[in-house]
Amino acid sequence: MGRARVRFGLLISAVGLLVFLILTQQAIEGGLITGFVGALRQQSSPVLVYSVDGERTLQGSVIDPGLESRIRGVDGVAEAGWIGQSTFTVRVDGGAESDAALIGYQHSGLGDPSRLSAGRRPAGPAEAVGSAADFTVGSRVRIVPSGVAGATGPVFTVVGLVKDAQIQVTPTLFVPWAGYEAAVKAANPDATTALPSVIGVRPIPGLSDTELVNRINAASPDADALTRSQAASETPGVAQVQQSFQLIFLLYGLVVPLVTGLFFLIVTFQEAAALTLLRAIGARSGSLVRSLLIQVVLVVGGGIIIGIVLFAPLTLVSLGAITIRFDPRTVLFWSVGLLALSVASALVAARRVLAIDPLEATTGGGGL
Amino acid sequence: MTLALREMRRRPGRFAIATAILTLIAVLLMFLGGLLDGLVASSTGAFRAQHADLFIYSGSSRNSLVRSRIEPQVRQQVAAVPGVARVGGLGSAQLGGRVPGRGPRDLVPIILFGYDLAPRGLPSVPPATGTVYADDSLRAKNVAVGTTIHLGPARSAVTVVGFVSDSRYSGQGTLWGSLETWRQVLNANRPDARVGPGVVQALVVQAAPAAGAGLAGRIDRATDGATSTLTISQAINALPGVSQQRTVFNQIIGVTVVIAIVVVALFFALLTVERTALYGVLKAIGAGSRTLFAGVVLQAVVVALIASLIGIVASLVLNALIPAGTIPFVANPARLLSSAVVLVVAAVVGCAFSLRRVLHIDPAAAIGGTP
Repeated sequence: MGRARVRFGLLISAVGLLVFLILTQQAIEGGLITGFVGALRQQSSPVLVYSVDGERTLQGSVIDPGLESRIRGVDGVAEAGWIGQSTFTVRVDGGAESDAALIGYQHSGLGDPSRLSAGRRPAGPAEAVGSAADFTVGSRVRIVPSGVAGATGPVFTVVGLVKDAQIQVTPTLFVPWAGYEAAVKAANPDATTALPSVIGVRPIPGLSDTELVNRINAASPDADALTRSQAASETPGVAQVQQSFQLIFLLYGLVVPLVTGLFFLIVTFQEAAALTLLRAIGARSGSLVRSLLIQVVLVVGGGIIIGIVLFAPLTLVSLGAITIRFDPRTVLFWSVGLLALSVASALVAARRVLAIDPLEATTGGGGL
Repeated sequence: MTLALREMRRRPGRFAIATAILTLIAVLLMFLGGLLDGLVASSTGAFRAQHADLFIYSGSSRNSLVRSRIEPQVRQQVAAVPGVARVGGLGSAQLGGRVPGRGPRDLVPIILFGYDLAPRGLPSVPPATGTVYADDSLRAKNVAVGTTIHLGPARSAVTVVGFVSDSRYSGQGTLWGSLETWRQVLNANRPDARVGPGVVQALVVQAAPAAGAGLAGRIDRATDGATSTLTISQAINALPGVSQQRTVFNQIIGVTVVIAIVVVALFFALLTVERTALYGVLKAIGAGSRTLFAGVVLQAVVVALIASLIGIVASLVLNALIPAGTIPFVANPARLLSSAVVLVVAAVVGCAFSLRRVLHIDPAAAIGGTP
């Protein structure tokens, strides 16, 4: 390796770049899914009941009073409250127009954030808890009515923050129901009422969330009850995003061992004469293979270190609305996985080394 | 050149691995491209179908159809702008559809559009209130002419009177009815989104032949910023997810092409190393480096062409086998051909990495001299 620094250096750089790309894509996937459904994970209601018409999306679901009373009447419901969600055009601190999703909740503990990362909870309808990546405590968010000339919308003051709490990759505010209703009516003066998107439900002590989900679904064919984690993972689009990224990872995961394996195969071809001579003067096949595998580990290990060094600074910034995180478990998973796959792919070259016949050194041969 | 082709004929096994890997890559490239085309088609059909030049949202809607709301007086202002020939209203409602023969929880996600300026494939006069045209994709969901679909929690009934093709929106099948049908269904099912008489979500505009450039700007000025006017292609690109889908898939396709280049480069580097002695002999008897390298390129092109051909056949078979309404895959001839071209170019680029090695082969080494 010391005498062919350029050749091995290029391979280490290529592997490093690929590792950087893999770690970046993995972080983007995590950030994207958190951006899609983070608010569902962070809200406090253990069970969410959608209307079956809503296809498991907050914006598509509407709970009419009849369905609501059937849900509340299910045996095992300790507490139930409205949760509404809609996206609005807003101005933050008088700036340019942008998007914000509002999640309105009727009762604290059923739809508001489980825990705050800063500030306090709203004390009135004009206060809000905002997603930490998008707002600061003290931000003033004005709803911009759409298509209503001269109208002005309600203003929310952000009094608390919650991490990883976006919905649909949009800056998100959790507001008391009265504030949410005011925003809906300001955005659409024709709206007669703001119905809840879902009903947040808490089971009685001793009843599991899953059991309550089953009871609610059995009680009404129009109700689609889900636990908090189900609501997040079964939101339309989440599975597709995961599948798309898995395909990307599969491609990247194949490229690293493919490149490494073919590289060392070529090296063994090029060094065939030298390897044959080494075998002829007594070098054991095992030690030659060991040297080869040590080179593989050094090359891939070096690449992994370069990849991590390139990736780490990226986690200090955000990509648009997506937060990139350095997850040690993910880094370890890919490091071990790529190293193992690369060593496995180099076994083809090792097989060639083992097949070297030392006699060929005395006959002028030495090809593999 | 002849030698290169003869080698491929006499020792096809030597090229089998590269051909197999490139075939897999070709199938992957064409499948990814077809998936992208299918996804984009299923997200944008309703907009592409518009028989119009401009698409108008309300000014503060940030080009979101759901958030946009245009009042009758704004429509009148738009219609009065010189250069505007015809103006039509458009509204949408995303609802679950209960189709006869399906289970009570097995709803079909549907988007109901109300219109008064007919999109491509629809009659110029919208169907009577309570009747709709359905997108072709809904045939796979048991929808036929005469089927009554119950929409939303209010079970608003609409009866299908015909079909229209390639008009999906947001990945879902669409129904097309009058603006009155749309208002009735929306107001019954979404009290928070209800609209008053004459209110629509968006306008489509047909420009007069002599309208000239800048009509969009003139409309927005005439409404004093109450509108945001886009060309149809701008409106399509502004649809949620469309540009993101293109970016993600093009990135995957780009990586796949790089993989193809790497595979070809490594494979032909290996072949060149194996054939160093042979090339030395050929050079010793007068063959030029250019001739030898042309042979390598020819072999790479042949391997890529075989892989592309198999990929095209596989894509067409896949297109025929995938049931309608499941995977949004479209085997578009332009996409298949462009993928084949990309693969051939990748093969040429990949094998070009062997050029230096071919140039540096010393014929003296082959005839026993000191290299």
